Amino acid sequence: MSNVLTKQKLTKRVVICLAILAAVMCLCCLIGTQKISLEKVFAGPGKTAGENVDYEILVSVRLPRVVLAALVGAALACSGVVLQAILRNPLADPYILGISSGAGLGVIIAIISGVSWTFWGGSPIAIAAFAGAIITVWLVWYIGHLTGKSQVTNLLLAGVVVNAFFAAVIMFLTSIAKSEQVYSTIFWLMGNITEKNPPVLWVSAICILAGIISLFSVCYRLNALSFGEQEAQGLGIDINKTKILAFGWAAFITAVAVSLSGLIGFVGLIIPHAVRLVLGPDHRQLLPVSAIFGSIFLVAADTLARIIVSPAQLPVGIITAIAGGPFFLVLLAGYSRKVSWLR
Amino acid sequence: MSSIIEVKNLSFAYNQDTILSNLSFDVTAGEFLTIAGPNGAGKTTLLNLICGLLKPAGGSIKIDGRDVKSYSIKKLAQKAAVVRQEFVPVFDFTVEETVMMARTPYLGTFGFESKADKEIVDIALEMTETNRFALRPLTNLSGGERQRVFIARALAQNTPILLLDEPTSFLDMKHQVGIYDLLKKLQLEKGKTIVAVTHDINLAAQYCDQVLLLGADNYYIGKPKDVFTTNQLEKTFGVRVFAVNFGGEKFFIPSGRFAKQSGPNHTTSFFPKS
Repeated sequence: MSNVLTKQKLTKRVVICLAILAAVMCLCCLIGTQKISLEKVFAGPGKTAGENVDYEILVSVRLPRVVLAALVGAALACSGVVLQAILRNPLADPYILGISSGAGLGVIIAIISGVSWTFWGGSPIAIAAFAGAIITVWLVWYIGHLTGKSQVTNLLLAGVVVNAFFAAVIMFLTSIAKSEQVYSTIFWLMGNITEKNPPVLWVSAICILAGIISLFSVCYRLNALSFGEQEAQGLGIDINKTKILAFGWAAFITAVAVSLSGLIGFVGLIIPHAVRLVLGPDHRQLLPVSAIFGSIFLVAADTLARIIVSPAQLPVGIITAIAGGPFFLVLLAGYSRKVSWLR
Repeated sequence: MSSIIEVKNLSFAYNQDTILSNLSFDVTAGEFLTIAGPNGAGKTTLLNLICGLLKPAGGSIKIDGRDVKSYSIKKLAQKAAVVRQEFVPVFDFTVEETVMMARTPYLGTFGFESKADKEIVDIALEMTETNRFALRPLTNLSGGERQRVFIARALAQNTPILLLDEPTSFLDMKHQVGIYDLLKKLQLEKGKTIVAVTHDINLAAQYCDQVLLLGADNYYIGKPKDVFTTNQLEKTFGVRVFAVNFGGEKFFIPSGRFAKQSGPNHTTSFFPKS
């Protein structure tokens, strides 16, 4: 009789979840406007490019997109877990410290000024989003620390105010921009997953996975931190080091995710809560399982976004909000953590 | 017996407000020390200084002969465990998970507990009689049960010193006595050094070996019967206090201006003279 997490238990659960993720990814690769047959895909690429259309669609169009959705979903969910723990606020999400508005501001400035240079295959929009996000997080962190050393409330306040201010600036810039510029900005703000070329995918995969692994190593400290900072220090935890590490990595992977896909809401808020409701609050489990379910959720949502109004495509952010909200409310209302089948 | 905690000429101030000045005392290993005194006298501050959360403005605190400042946060957490007055559990951790966190200062990089850790936790749960509700979420417990859980956690932290900040302040009589009995048991059976801040001087006097009575600008340290005297209590708390003898022990009752028994003549008549 014990519900304490062990390495064995965790490994077992993570493997099960990964299997589910793999299955969902395969399935979502096969679903789409264009029907493709598995037989043809397994026949290989063929001698000349374009000979096997089914293979081309799967490998160069759908697979990268599914992988991208999985990466972004994992990053947002992890970041949500960490920020909720550090800020000790169940309402925290990856965007709470100003990342969204910072990235948005970066993007709209890039679009309006019409920059066109690229970097490592990343589009100017992605780079502007990343830069905007990182600068804003730094700004919020800096302001939060000017007001008081270990006050998370100040940090939250600084984040909220910077968010509101930047949102106003975004509105201002949108209202003076040309209409086609406005259109691409709004599409970006709604969150949108599109095909990216392999080098971009590789670099982001490495960044996000490195972030998740580093964050996993602070998880046991996050457990203690949920009881407050004094308590955590009493348990031998270096609060400042832990906070900087956790905030830094969470901000970084969120910025990477945002620069890839725009502002996809809800994943970072509801996935950690859903996993916590079912499996309990131990962060050593919450983080990896949330990462995997964040991936599953976003892969599924993006597949829906691809097919629901085909041949047109919806921004995936709309799907995550429309599907995620009610799903979460049902979970919240119906579940307690006394789910015995996994414990 | 050697001193496990040595406080020498300690002073501390929040900005310009001096809280502690020139405070010196020793705590012998295996001793039960109670810290009493009016609100704002710096009792909690003193605990925070001992556990390294605050840095002294002057003087020094030594644990096991070494200055607190020279310990790493992790090493200090292996010396002293703290049970605090207030806590805010944001997420629904169970009792067992909470107590298991006591092992945090002993964990490696990814932070997983070993079998040995699990055994230590089981013993702590048993000693504090919290194993009955080990699987319940912390939020579903009563105040008394929750306080025992945090004492269990401090116990599982396996430190020679336990620091407690008003462990009985929100508890009824039965649970107050229960907590003090538990602390005494830990002192006697496990050899723990216990430092507890309390407002209940009558209860504390029955259990502790030494008392630190901390006033705004004075302090008394010594055996309960030498420190808890009408004169010194009145001076420290700034309120009228009556002493009552019962079973060879002195008990103290504060009395305000409009209290029913506000004259010295009334008090003794209500209680047997010894």
